[in-house]
Amino acid sequence: MSRELYACVRAAEFPLQALLRLRSDLKAQPVVVLDGPAHDRRVCALNRLARQRGIVHGLSGMEAESVNGVLLLPRSHSVEQAARAALLEAAAQFSPRVEEASEATACSFVLDIAGSELLFGPAKQMSARMREALAGAGFHVSVAVSANFHVARMMAAAVRGIVIVEPGEEASSLAKLPLNALKLEENPRETFAVWGIRTLGELAALPETELVTRLGMEAREWRALAKGVAPHIFRPIEAAFELREFYEFDSPVEQMDGLLFLAARMIDCLIERAANHALSLASLGAEMRLEGGQTHRLTIRSALPTADRKFLLKLLHLELAAHSPKAAVLALTLTAEPGRSSKVQLDLFAPPLPEPSQLDVTLARIKTIVGEDRVGTPVLEDSHRPASFHMEAFSVDAGADTYDSQPARLALRRVRPARLIQVTLRENIPAVFRDRGERFQVAAAYGPWRSNGCWWSIDAWDTEEWDVLTADRDGVALSCLLVHDRLRKEWRLEALLD
Amino acid sequence: MAAAAALRLQIEDALATRFPAALTPVSRTIHEVAATGIPAADAMLNGGLPVGAISELVGPECSGRTSLALAFVARRTAAGNLCAWIDAGDAFDPQSAAASGVRLRQLLWVRCRDAASAIVRKREERPWTRLDQALRATDLLLQTGGFGALVLDLGDMNPAHGTRIPLASWFRFRNAADRSRCSLVVLGRASYAQSSAAVVVDCAPLRVEIVGGTVLAASSFQLSGSRRRFVTQRAGVRKPPASIWSVQATWDEEKSA
Repeated sequence: MSRELYACVRAAEFPLQALLRLRSDLKAQPVVVLDGPAHDRRVCALNRLARQRGIVHGLSGMEAESVNGVLLLPRSHSVEQAARAALLEAAAQFSPRVEEASEATACSFVLDIAGSELLFGPAKQMSARMREALAGAGFHVSVAVSANFHVARMMAAAVRGIVIVEPGEEASSLAKLPLNALKLEENPRETFAVWGIRTLGELAALPETELVTRLGMEAREWRALAKGVAPHIFRPIEAAFELREFYEFDSPVEQMDGLLFLAARMIDCLIERAANHALSLASLGAEMRLEGGQTHRLTIRSALPTADRKFLLKLLHLELAAHSPKAAVLALTLTAEPGRSSKVQLDLFAPPLPEPSQLDVTLARIKTIVGEDRVGTPVLEDSHRPASFHMEAFSVDAGADTYDSQPARLALRRVRPARLIQVTLRENIPAVFRDRGERFQVAAAYGPWRSNGCWWSIDAWDTEEWDVLTADRDGVALSCLLVHDRLRKEWRLEALLD
Repeated sequence: MAAAAALRLQIEDALATRFPAALTPVSRTIHEVAATGIPAADAMLNGGLPVGAISELVGPECSGRTSLALAFVARRTAAGNLCAWIDAGDAFDPQSAAASGVRLRQLLWVRCRDAASAIVRKREERPWTRLDQALRATDLLLQTGGFGALVLDLGDMNPAHGTRIPLASWFRFRNAADRSRCSLVVLGRASYAQSSAAVVVDCAPLRVEIVGGTVLAASSFQLSGSRRRFVTQRAGVRKPPASIWSVQATWDEEKSA
């Protein structure tokens, strides 16, 4: 017969933890989170340093503001949502069966860890590993382990750190907890206060029949909870694997450094989350909400999936430098696509190739110098249109292993953009042309080579090409390609034969 | 044999002050070269262009520099190397490259431009010129390493601008090329790298061959090596080596196909 065992992880002051997990620079100062409408904002979460200064939950924003040196942050449900997903994902490493038990401003998950001891060790060791893993994800949690679902949940709320409730000790562990642990409504709470019942131990000691007679059938459940024997039907939730981090700034950010500082931490979190699934990041998307309601999007796709934070941050930096947002940034969302970690089979006799991640950074740098569309691999188009090609992203390819020799060919050097020239014809053959004020006598002209196409569209072309040999006044010979555009009635110098 | 060795040592010791290692053959460093695929050029260059060094192909327009460079790149890409063409004048023609046998998928093309770069920098900074862009891109690619050949195409650049490139840049390129075993080929109207260049090849147009009076079928060019750092010049020989090579037009291939 399998024994039940549950572990509850509880992140208290979750609105604050969600904001601070990406802002390690704020952890050393008193911070409070305010919630509610603008005219009545109240403290909903605070850290230890703020508590030491006399701030408590429910204090008004005005009162909290009057305390020196305290940083006030607005509550962000979007940030909490992203943090909740990260917490759930981190907790799900230890068990596939997870049920949410969040209440008020705490985020709690109860894990069914029965049978996991073989993987993660005894309950105490597993709890320590769980706490460590969640600390790595940026959460400070308390962990309680018990054979009873509700005991684990209530103990996690009552203690800090790790608590293991051995089987049979549930009632004694709960005995000292205040009655508030049951989240009773006002009426029964007042009744118990009149009776002088303040702890769960005192409630558990009451006779069941008399209690039910006076307070109804609900009292039976409260007593079972207080004794640590209340049953529970586990309702597991599915932890969706979505690599997404979100942060809303408390003030608009204009400097790139501030943005990158936060992005570095977010990339760290994404890499860690992907690593938990033995994956790397194949691409990274950044979405920035700007002042004025606009959205600025960037996408970074490395040659190979990577888990190198410095590398991804450098790519993001270069991309931001090339496409900087038009206004101050209010919120930043980073999403990532997971990919299998790269495995490259090296060959002793293959020529050396650039290191893919380093090449990515180099290409990004060159793009910032010459422009996005000016770097890549030329790909010829399947068209008879002269000089038709497009650029594609360059990637490291192992290349061909067979060698086929090909004789050298006469190459063209394109003149971009083609220069308009004036041509004098003699018997329909170019005899003289003028280019940039200089007169060239045509020594020999070979052609015409006629081509046309796309006559049905606006991109129609109809040209005559001439290979022309010239000699200028200094006797310097030139071989060039002249094109007569029959549609536009113009002559162009398109290339030199070099 | 032992006596002969001892005698040699004695003679070398005696002459050590005047002729170091008098009877020991001078050690030779064999510099790796990569063939251009043009027999006349390879014969003149003792096998091809040097690997891990700077080679300059110098000449006026229509002197065959680009055809020679493309032939070299074609051989390098066919051997599985990645190559890059840093195009200061945006004059590269992909069709010609493909016709010359260059595997375009293994070629990185950097097209410099006159317009302001994508970076919006401080107002006082002027837009980078094509030459600046080309030099920066070359530097970055050489530092990255892993490329078999890099062609820095300054073929349309005014020599007055090219000669202003600091020698320190060329020296850095030479060291980086040596470290990464990359052949850096510089196309230009004049020689710019000076002492950093291992080979300087002067190119000049010679003649064109016509078929049927209407088709330009081939061109001939003249090559001469004005500088070869790794080759010791024999005493008394002053005339630089020269060679003539011909190249067929692209459409000649299409016709034969």
